[in-house]
Amino acid sequence: MNQFRKTMLGLGSAICIMGMTASAQAETLKIGLAGPATGPVAQYGDMQKIGVMAAIEDINKAGGVNGMMLEGVIYDDACDPKQAVAIANKIVNDGVSHVVGHLCSSSTEPATDIYEEEGVLMITAASTSPSITEKGYQMVFRTIGLDSLQGTMAAQYILDTAKPSRVAVVHDKQQYGEGLATSVRDQLAANGLEAVMFEGVTSGDKDFSALIAKLKKEDVDFVYYGGYHPELGLILRQSAEKGFNAQFMGPEGIVNSDLAKIAGDAVEGVLATAPKSFDQNPVNEARVAAISAKGEDPTGPFVFTAYAAVEVMTKAMAATGSTDTEKLASHIRANAVDTAIGTVKYDEKGDLTESTFLVYNLHKDGSKTPAQ
Amino acid sequence: MSEFSLYLLQQLINGLTIGSTYALIAIGYTMVYGIIGMINFAHGEIYMIGSYVTFIVIAGLVSMGVVSLPIILVIALIVAMFIASTYGWTVERVAYRPLRGSNRLIPLISAIGMSIFLQNYVVLSQGSRDVALPPQITGGWAFGDPSSFEVTLSYMQLMIFAMTFITMTVLTLFISRSRMGRACRACAEDLGMTNLLGINTNKIIALTFVIGAALAAIAGLLLGLYYGVVNPFVGFIAGLKAFTAAVLGGIGSIPGAVLGGLVLGVTEAMTAAFFPSEYKDVVAFSLLVTILLFRPSGLLGKPEIEKV
Repeated sequence: MNQFRKTMLGLGSAICIMGMTASAQAETLKIGLAGPATGPVAQYGDMQKIGVMAAIEDINKAGGVNGMMLEGVIYDDACDPKQAVAIANKIVNDGVSHVVGHLCSSSTEPATDIYEEEGVLMITAASTSPSITEKGYQMVFRTIGLDSLQGTMAAQYILDTAKPSRVAVVHDKQQYGEGLATSVRDQLAANGLEAVMFEGVTSGDKDFSALIAKLKKEDVDFVYYGGYHPELGLILRQSAEKGFNAQFMGPEGIVNSDLAKIAGDAVEGVLATAPKSFDQNPVNEARVAAISAKGEDPTGPFVFTAYAAVEVMTKAMAATGSTDTEKLASHIRANAVDTAIGTVKYDEKGDLTESTFLVYNLHKDGSKTPAQ
Repeated sequence: MSEFSLYLLQQLINGLTIGSTYALIAIGYTMVYGIIGMINFAHGEIYMIGSYVTFIVIAGLVSMGVVSLPIILVIALIVAMFIASTYGWTVERVAYRPLRGSNRLIPLISAIGMSIFLQNYVVLSQGSRDVALPPQITGGWAFGDPSSFEVTLSYMQLMIFAMTFITMTVLTLFISRSRMGRACRACAEDLGMTNLLGINTNKIIALTFVIGAALAAIAGLLLGLYYGVVNPFVGFIAGLKAFTAAVLGGIGSIPGAVLGGLVLGVTEAMTAAFFPSEYKDVVAFSLLVTILLFRPSGLLGKPEIEKV
């Protein structure tokens, strides 16, 4: 793996050098690519690199931006917050002022302080923690939805499509699960659908028979579960055994092939909010083919968000005719733009106004299909 | 019956099911404590290993083309009991016997070490993720009015009751009627005197670890089949609950362990039935504290008389 990564890095730099010699006369614009190229989550860094490099290649083929050719420069933060700060300083020192990254929320957050101060435009394609955009920074954007948007999405689906009569909201008492469950409950209540039950289970527990008997007694026909797959798997399995047949729904944390292993047939038809599979979108057919042709994997969740991050930057450059980051930031904030992940529009904080999640139906073979 | 009483009945069934398995694990704690006055902290891990062996044997037999469920279950039970007993015997041999006669805290630490070792050994050899088994025993009875509330009693729950009852009966007969059982009781009464009277107490102590481990393996098989999921960390929580059950019933007393397990299981189910279910552990442990305040030796424990 290490050898492979070295080769990939070598190849990447070789391509960059070739790019530089080929366009020696034209000016080049460096785009910083910050994320893990080594370490335990390097595969996510690879996804980001695949997306960014594909976007740069497509843009250069079409003549570049404002007469400039783009060049991607890889900066490895190993998903380590300390290294992320060092890398951010290096990016500033190298005079790079347009960055796609970082990847892990814990790395992105400390790096944003430096970028904001130095006027470096940063678009992250993978960090979903809400706190990143909460400091009111001007230079910070993302092309991926927030975790918390899943709650809104689930509540909307329940109200508009599922229309159950008696809803229960169950969670695992952890930050992720309880946060989502609370947001779903509150949004349902705001629209006049009061949950008949709101209850926590202990994560790691194996016996949910008492909870299921209670759900049955309350005649619940829809259960929203905020948490991860091990507990929901057991709840589904034990519900099936006890003849409790409500519709279940959960967040991205339950979308995992292990859910079907634990719950078996009971998984069929369970609803879940999960990130959209952009590689399935017909709009991206040519891009997917181009990436596959290079022997790379276009299906990673961050490939097309990274592609879109480059598009957001370069389209703003084309529209303003400038690379000045302050002009770009205010343009990005004010204008919607078409990208590989659909029409992208930002709010004041630099978050997407529309969720990149979709409601899916899960199946017992571990696959998922979009729910109507 | 009214909807309320049907609901109560359902929660009682749920509580007795989980209580039965607490009882099976609790006996291992109580027997060891009764004889050498120490808590075997590695006992929960033995239960976990019993579950893993069950899963491996069932998966193996199914892939070999054995289709008869009773045969699969009997083989799985025998293999799980045998392997778990071997582990129980080894724990005694490695973590307790070399330290016999030393300060009581020392074997306690070595048992905790054993527990950590076994847990990590299973993590390394089997992975730390959940291992799942498709339901083997399905179906059950449903009674009551489907339009108000339907009580279900699955065959699996029935099997848990039946197995617990049979195991307890056999164990009680063994302790009260057999020669070995008499030696066990003698050891519990006075270890030093029993030794002087020519009974091999090391053998008896090893035997209690083996019996406890075999019962934990039965619990491992039953709960493994009931929940269909096992991971290397289930032993810790199950061990904690069973230890609580043993203390609740009076540690050192076998009927006490059974009663303690059932009381704990039913309390948890009833709490979850009428309060938010996150309170079930709070109520269960408050009950433990209350009972120990009024009966420091547990429900059926004999108060220890200080010998002068």
